[in-house]
Amino acid sequence: MNPAMFLAAAVLLPLAAGLLLLICSGRFKNRKNKCLLIGLVLVITAGLVLALELSGDQQFLLWNMTENLPVLFIVDNMTRVFGLVTVTAWTLGGIFAFEYMKHEENEDRYFGFYLIVMGVLICLTHAGNLITLYMFFEMMTLTSLPMVLHTMKHEAIMAGLKYLFYSVAGAFAALFGIFYFTAQGVGASFEAGGVITNLGDAYTGSSALTLAAVLLMIIGFGAKAGMFPLHGWLPTAHPVAPAPASAVLSGVITKFGVLSVIRVVFFTVGADYIRGTYVQTVWMVLSLITVFMGSMLAYKEKVLKKRMAYSTVSQVSYIMFGLSVLNTQALTGALSYVIFHSAVKNTLFLVAGAIIYKTGKTKVEELRGIGKEMPVTIWCFTLVSVTLIGIPPTSGFISKWYLATGSLESGMGALSWIGPVVLLLSAMLTAGYLLTITIKGFFPGNDYDYGSLVKKEPNLLMLVPMIVLTCIAVGFGLFPTALITFLQNAAAGIL
Amino acid sequence: MSGNIELLAAVLFPFLAAFVSYLIGRANKQLRDRFVQGSVIAEMLLILWCVLSYFQNGMLELTVQDFCMQGLYFKMDGFRVLYGTIAALMWMMTGIFSREYFAHYRNRNRYYLFYLVTLGATIGVFLSGDLYTTFIFFEIMSLTSFVWVVHDEKEAAMKAGNIYLAIAIIGGMVLLMGLFLLYNATGTLRMDEIHEAVTAVMDTKRIQIYAAGACMLFGFGAKAGMFPVHIWLPMAHPVAPAPASALLSGVLTKSGVFGILIVSAEIFRHDPSWGMLVLFLGVVTMFGGALIALFSVDLKRTLACSSMSQIGFILVGTGMMELLGEENALAVRGTILHMVNHSMIKLVLFMAAGVVYMNLHALNLNEIRGFGKRKPLLKGMFLMGALSIGGVPGWSGYVSKTLLHESIVEYAHELAHHGEPTLWIHVIEWVFLFTGGMTLAYMTKLFAAVFLEENLTRQKEFDAKKKYMNRESVFAIGVPTILLVILGFTPYLTMNRLADLAQGFLYGVSPEHAVHYFSLENLKGAVISLIIGSVVYFGFIRTCLMAKNANGQKEYIEVVPNVDLWEQQLEHLSLKGLLTTAVASIAALIDHMKPMLLVVDLSIAVTGFFSMVLDHFVDSVVLFFRSTTHRSKTELHLDLIGSRVSRTLGRFLDSIVKVLNVTVLRNNPRTKSFVVTFAEREDILKKTNRMISASLSFGLLLTVLGLAFTMIYLLTSIL
Repeated sequence: MNPAMFLAAAVLLPLAAGLLLLICSGRFKNRKNKCLLIGLVLVITAGLVLALELSGDQQFLLWNMTENLPVLFIVDNMTRVFGLVTVTAWTLGGIFAFEYMKHEENEDRYFGFYLIVMGVLICLTHAGNLITLYMFFEMMTLTSLPMVLHTMKHEAIMAGLKYLFYSVAGAFAALFGIFYFTAQGVGASFEAGGVITNLGDAYTGSSALTLAAVLLMIIGFGAKAGMFPLHGWLPTAHPVAPAPASAVLSGVITKFGVLSVIRVVFFTVGADYIRGTYVQTVWMVLSLITVFMGSMLAYKEKVLKKRMAYSTVSQVSYIMFGLSVLNTQALTGALSYVIFHSAVKNTLFLVAGAIIYKTGKTKVEELRGIGKEMPVTIWCFTLVSVTLIGIPPTSGFISKWYLATGSLESGMGALSWIGPVVLLLSAMLTAGYLLTITIKGFFPGNDYDYGSLVKKEPNLLMLVPMIVLTCIAVGFGLFPTALITFLQNAAAGIL
Repeated sequence: MSGNIELLAAVLFPFLAAFVSYLIGRANKQLRDRFVQGSVIAEMLLILWCVLSYFQNGMLELTVQDFCMQGLYFKMDGFRVLYGTIAALMWMMTGIFSREYFAHYRNRNRYYLFYLVTLGATIGVFLSGDLYTTFIFFEIMSLTSFVWVVHDEKEAAMKAGNIYLAIAIIGGMVLLMGLFLLYNATGTLRMDEIHEAVTAVMDTKRIQIYAAGACMLFGFGAKAGMFPVHIWLPMAHPVAPAPASALLSGVLTKSGVFGILIVSAEIFRHDPSWGMLVLFLGVVTMFGGALIALFSVDLKRTLACSSMSQIGFILVGTGMMELLGEENALAVRGTILHMVNHSMIKLVLFMAAGVVYMNLHALNLNEIRGFGKRKPLLKGMFLMGALSIGGVPGWSGYVSKTLLHESIVEYAHELAHHGEPTLWIHVIEWVFLFTGGMTLAYMTKLFAAVFLEENLTRQKEFDAKKKYMNRESVFAIGVPTILLVILGFTPYLTMNRLADLAQGFLYGVSPEHAVHYFSLENLKGAVISLIIGSVVYFGFIRTCLMAKNANGQKEYIEVVPNVDLWEQQLEHLSLKGLLTTAVASIAALIDHMKPMLLVVDLSIAVTGFFSMVLDHFVDSVVLFFRSTTHRSKTELHLDLIGSRVSRTLGRFLDSIVKVLNVTVLRNNPRTKSFVVTFAEREDILKKTNRMISASLSFGLLLTVLGLAFTMIYLLTSIL
């Protein structure tokens, strides 16, 4: 079968299923069958994407909007990483939601948009040039908005609007760069190593404007990745969404900010073009500020889901920092952290969801003894927390090892060692805001009333996704060689 | 994977046994207890298998490729043979002891799970052949041993546990930074390659190497209980269950020392400036720990402070080993032997304290006083430990302390020989001897309180307790006691051999002349310490730290130096009171390190504030424009009036409700008017609509602006 068919099917299937759900909202009599159907769509889509990613590097032209504005799709190492992360997280988050959405209203609308966003994300993953990327980037913002708005409470609407405002503002900043590059004739396709760098002297654009455009695009797309200064929407919007939606918002959608930046820096401009310029320094400093600020705010935050959201702000900027170093070592670390952070943050939000679903507790101080009530859930939480802190032998440690050694090798002067120091300070704070929950949960104190203890472990629909993601997060730490080798080659190929 | 498979078995087995014990424990608790005892004995046998194999075939090695990316590398040579065996032995003894000790505890399954996992991790640390492997197992050990500290879940335990974990995490991260810097500078973390690699880049990357060393010293020192990151130790060791305290004090601190030794021997081999740093920190740790111990009135807390002090002795030895350069045999042998002695001694003493605790559930000296007065077996075992740690000639502690003391004296001679100032080294020598005296004093305090004096109220009850420990416990405490006595009585036969076995690790060579431990010169130091000890005990502890209670009986008092106490003392102006308070204040300062914690708190507060400012930066800009240039034209009506439709509908429903209230809803009448409810609903609807339309129009405005600029740009570029 033609690989293009895989892509078309992987996009159209969830889109069609999602639209069907929206149109027939509330008319499904048998909930079990509906869930089975959605599950089937998720799994088939995941399978199609897997088949697509395994079918080798290629590109498909959909149509030409104008003479030189093609809508283009590609398959390369980046799509392999981001595409598989997306479908894995989406499928597991969907399974979790089958149980979780029982206690929310309008679940058909939720699942409808959930599937539509999946289709859009698959397009966005495989976007083959800046125009296509931008188109689906905006579409992602708009289609994921209903997930934030879901409860339709005042708080949710305000959060949704903030999300929209920041995303639109960020995307417009990026749009400038797209116009500029397109005008210079470099927006039509992506090339490993960067179109502009590859052009060399043949590139006609002014270097000052090019650098300004790149910085704007990094900050603009960085808004999606929660990078300072446009991170403000994230801690507002993620917590108000239903837990499985927060999980994919934090775990997956933020990564598309990262992917867009990768496409701009490594595929359009080229790492060599900005290495050593002020753009790299500013980018590095902004990401380090975000890393520290996010952790500190998470450490001070009392509401569990909001704490996780601030944690996302901090952790996604680990990836941004890794990109900004612009060498193979750090880029490998960053790409691996895309996968590991996605698994970890999905788990953390799913755990938060399970706690809300089973006990209704949302604040950290109410979680005393939670480990006795739901041991498996909190074990998952603990293991992924240890991963997020970066304690060996878990996967977070591997990423940090590459990020830090890469940074030290970069020869960026003081920043090359300030980077690892900030990462480690942030890791200490991460331990402070995550392990305290574990401790409260598993060690409730000797005056804890064991007599009135009721087991509240969620059922398998909720447990299995958490356990699978935890195994990914920890397992890749034990035996990362195959993955890291792949990522190293991928990183070396685009520098 | 290649190399000697028995090493893998020794490291991996406890991890497997841990999970099996957990599963068994869910079904059958008795069987689980037996299984754990069997596991620790099996682990001991596995280690002995490795040791045998070492003596037959020489060094064992094992490489596990690809695990955790860089792979693992284990090896077993002299020092690792010694410490692997000691770790396994200590786990075996505490494991045997645990069954009786934990008989009435809750959450034992959790305890045993982490007990065995930590065993595997600790063996991993001691057998590690590169720092990457060390770090992996070091971190696992730090995290899992946290469970021991908080096992009781009492408030004090939770507090101590949190500090323990915080220091462990901070220490681990700083250590990791050190590894990053070292790896960046040298490109290797293999212990047998580091020295060469460091020497090659020392000239160009001196600052980076020293920064790496400092980070690693901090990280390993945090686990060893080195000043100034010792604060967790006097808190955490006493609150843990006794078998765990024995392991925390006896082995886990040594894993930190192991790291410091590697840094000292491999990275900074014979580096005097590094030696000065370690020596200075060692002296403060040694003296500070003993000082805190003097004031403690809690059996296990005194032992914990004593651990800190003994780690200080070991660090002094490490420092001397650097300073003495090539001729450091005395320091190397003293350091290693003191580690061994301290592990065995603390094993005996903490388990003896555990016996007291499992009978009385108390540790305060006034409460447990006289418990062992008529229990010769316990008394004898505790006495052996106490004499040994006190450095009394004839017991093992004397040998190692003599070696350490001699190394200081040797360095003083060397300095004098080169005509350099020697005053400071003599000061250190006297601090060393004085600390030895204090060690004797606080051990005498413990021994006298628990085993010689009479309890003021419960002595008869204590004496009636004949069955205070079972045979397993006697075995567990007895065997290490016997080992300790053998070591002490036959230093030439046993301790010299141990030193010979392990000294290659620190690049020590056997001294040219065999050391005569019982020569007059060497006995002198011990005698000075004995005299100082009795002066401190009778002149300070019995006079200043004991006072008569209401009945006129002497009791141990806890001096809590605070403002009130100072005011009180300044009023009375007695020399004794002022001295006690002053010394207690110094001890408390070293104990809690309040100024350091204050700085940490302050920096968290300051950076937290700045983070908050940054967080709201863009939001506040947006807010500023919304309240100034982009303010809404008309303010929303906030009064709840509603429209005509809602009012009519509301009144209509109200009249229905009025009827219902009298009839159907009589017991539970509805009082709120529908007019108000509708008005509220409408208000929310209006507000939401306004917000959405305002934002959408704003978004549209931006889109249009963007398009307009684009058009202009495109037009200009075309033209």
